Amino acid sequence: MNQGPIGRDEIFEIVRDRLADILEIDPSTISEAQSFAGDLEADSLALIELVEALEEELSDRTVGFRIEDEDLEDLKTVRDAVDYVHERTRG
Amino acid sequence: MLPIAVDAMGGDHAPDAIVAGAKAAAGAGTPVVLVGPADLGERVDLGGLELIVADEVIEMDEDGGKAVRRKKDSTLVRAAEAVRDGRASAMVSAGNTGATMASALLRMGRIKGVNRPAIATIIPVPGGQPTVLLDAGANAEVSPEWMVQFAQMGSIFSRHRFGVASPKVGLLSIGEEPGKGDQLRKESFPLLVAASEASDLNFVGNVEGRDVMTDVADVIVADGFTGNVVLKTLEGGLKSVIGALLEAFGSAPEYRQHAEALMPALLPLYEMLDPETYGGAMLLGVDGVCIISHGSSSQRAIFNAVNVAREMVEADVVGEISAAMRPPDGD
Repeated sequence: MNQGPIGRDEIFEIVRDRLADILEIDPSTISEAQSFAGDLEADSLALIELVEALEEELSDRTVGFRIEDEDLEDLKTVRDAVDYVHERTRG
Repeated sequence: MLPIAVDAMGGDHAPDAIVAGAKAAAGAGTPVVLVGPADLGERVDLGGLELIVADEVIEMDEDGGKAVRRKKDSTLVRAAEAVRDGRASAMVSAGNTGATMASALLRMGRIKGVNRPAIATIIPVPGGQPTVLLDAGANAEVSPEWMVQFAQMGSIFSRHRFGVASPKVGLLSIGEEPGKGDQLRKESFPLLVAASEASDLNFVGNVEGRDVMTDVADVIVADGFTGNVVLKTLEGGLKSVIGALLEAFGSAPEYRQHAEALMPALLPLYEMLDPETYGGAMLLGVDGVCIISHGSSSQRAIFNAVNVAREMVEADVVGEISAAMRPPDGD
């Protein structure tokens, strides 16, 4: 198991790929500046799908990794999500 | 077959009416497993039905997605996990609709190629096959591409639920002509025409609200906001009309006598119009059979919902939707 901090670029790739799976879109069309609701048309349930997918993937790498529900409303863009995950996985 | 998992704690009349409906369905030959708290058997006679223990309940007014994340030991989450883990073949709940949808989506997963699941509800048609209306409330905002997926999934559902060989699909709008409606309707129309030309989808054009309870279309496609308004309007309207009729029938002794003479003709009509006859709506696009019953479900509604779940499992509706929606690259 790969332990230790995960680089920001890798986190972006993880977020992008999971999001592409959930929204059934090409990963290459996703950029950090895009907003979930406006640009990507992701509804609240799609965001929860993303959160659950990220928690599942990252809990192996960062013990107890969890995205708090009360923080969800602050995650407006892909960049917000990447920064949030990066901050929380830095140990 | 694997049992149908019934959420014993979902609905206004849970657990008594739910368990009674589940027992009746089991008695009629459909295997059922209840999902409820460990002490459920002390509160209601389980009639020997197996119980999957889940000690939390998601209330009707909770936010669906958040509740599913917070209450991992809830009856809804455990019912969906039973399907995912191969302990049950389908789930039935009369509980919180949003949470039922979220449980099914997050635990069973989405069918590959489906953007968002949709709620397919049954609208009675006097003298004809019921109409399938979707989306009846899963997605308030949708894209034209999703509308095409709703049409495809609704067609498969209509074929298996009602045996319609080539279901007529209508797009709910405010006029029959292709140019009628808002941007979503105008953009969806040509995509539905194209899908009709490229597959066995039988798109018949725009339909209007007045067509919903007729045989103009077998499947009516709408965004979830519109679909839910239509559904609730019909339910409320029918309830008001039936209530007013019953009041008129009982308003004088001689009317009552005539009404009693008419009952053999009126009762089948009443049964046909009663949502409980159809058991519930099906969530299409998730990787498992999920029947969402009305919050006010009685024993009869749950009995019917379990039977619908069994039929949908036996017809492999999920497998057929998976095959139809698979992305072109086949992954």
